[in-house]
Amino acid sequence: MSHIHIPDGVLPIWLVVIGWIATAVILYLCIRRVRNVQLGRKIPLIGIVSAIMIVGMTLEIVPIAYHINMSVIAGIVLGPALGFISVFIVDLMIAMFGHGGFTVVGLNTLVVGTEAAVGFYFFHAFLGLLSSSKISAGLSAALATMLSLIISTSLMIGIVYLSQVNPEKILHVDKENFIGKVFSLGPHRENEKHEMQDNKIDIETFAKTVFFLGMFGWILEAVISGFVIRYVSRVRPDLILSEAT
Amino acid sequence: MDIGIIDYFANSGEGLLHRASPLYKIISTVFVLASIVITNDFIVLLSIYLMLASLVILARLPFLKIISIAAYPAIFAVLFAISSWSEDWIIPATIILKALCAALAMVILIVTTPYPSVFSSISPFLPRVILEGLYLTYRSLFILLELMGNLLRALRIRGGLSPRRYIKNISNFASGIGLLLIRGFDLSERFYGVMQVRGYSGKIAEEERKRKLGHEDIFPIAVGLFILSVSLGARLEDDFKLYGIYLLTLSIVFVCCSAYYVYFHNSTRGVFWKR
Repeated sequence: MSHIHIPDGVLPIWLVVIGWIATAVILYLCIRRVRNVQLGRKIPLIGIVSAIMIVGMTLEIVPIAYHINMSVIAGIVLGPALGFISVFIVDLMIAMFGHGGFTVVGLNTLVVGTEAAVGFYFFHAFLGLLSSSKISAGLSAALATMLSLIISTSLMIGIVYLSQVNPEKILHVDKENFIGKVFSLGPHRENEKHEMQDNKIDIETFAKTVFFLGMFGWILEAVISGFVIRYVSRVRPDLILSEAT
Repeated sequence: MDIGIIDYFANSGEGLLHRASPLYKIISTVFVLASIVITNDFIVLLSIYLMLASLVILARLPFLKIISIAAYPAIFAVLFAISSWSEDWIIPATIILKALCAALAMVILIVTTPYPSVFSSISPFLPRVILEGLYLTYRSLFILLELMGNLLRALRIRGGLSPRRYIKNISNFASGIGLLLIRGFDLSERFYGVMQVRGYSGKIAEEERKRKLGHEDIFPIAVGLFILSVSLGARLEDDFKLYGIYLLTLSIVFVCCSAYYVYFHNSTRGVFWKR
């Protein structure tokens, strides 16, 4: 739900450009940070984690328009820096399927990358708190996923709010053109000017819808992440506990 | 989404677009995306969509399959479109049409161009770690899809996915994903090691990128430029919108002519494609 699915050409150019610049700067910092890490071993891991994320993102839960991101798993397994790089790779590749719009890849990387990075820190914080418990890794991952998704979804809603999206204004829809005249189903309004001003996307309704539908998805994603990390921590604990960058 | 089929189309196709250079197809796609960004006219967007649909036909791709792959991202745009509803259907419809056009343009690129060629063309703009990550992700997708098929089969055979045992099913499925992660990592690491032993240094198909403009490249560039000029015209000149209906008619004629040429005039239809 935190992945921005706004098509190309709807968000204002300045916001899209800021998204790309911020992503480029963070990617630069991430690449600098991992320069001293033995990447020969990490790159296959980036590949497989990104592939799992792509598969997760392309499986849609239709009734709630949700897809799982698995970005917190990426953050936990790869660490915040490589996790962010992995998220960029995933966003770039799924944009090639037309998923989410190509121009919003920058903003999407910021939102989902935050999810991965924050997830990593939450996971280790919870792991410290629950270290005595036998199910600490799985439970920590589930809680970290839940909190990260709440934060990233809020960030996504913040971006939509920041854009002050007024589709009618941004899209410059001319109601007097051919299609407007011939096919318009709505009545012609006398107070159209007044309505144009109030016709912003209803951010409150948008936020309520996203949070309500997202809640089911968050729980599902938290449960899946918890079980995945529990399994990996039992079979290959070195992948998640000692090697994260 | 069947990524395997997309890859099959990209590598096995012999249509008009398959023969064009990846670099010029990317440039053409950028033109189309720019057109979608700058135009907000419903008729122009509908015309662009129909022109792209005719490219699918001309590329001898299975029409309904490609259209359905490209329609998938629009499901997510619906939520945003509904939030923008204001008694008039034209704004949500324009938003959804923008999503459909952008998705179809990107899908046409990837079903006519193998991923490694796309990565190779954009490699000058990407750091090595990202380029290698893209290539390994692409390779890992196929490793993962194969492993996932085996895993689901094994889960079903051993009763791991039973009706009405939702928590147990999720637990088994998630453990399966954990297993995929570990197995996929091992296979991917081995694959990367083999590549390095064979001299891989982060550069893929360099010669593809340096190709000069050939006669096969003129068609995608011409289509991209035409779509861009139509969008610019609609954006800059208000009177242009009066001719929108002619543009729409032209697009419909273009679709019909493409369909006639490929399906009735050409005896090789459907030979190359996996059904």
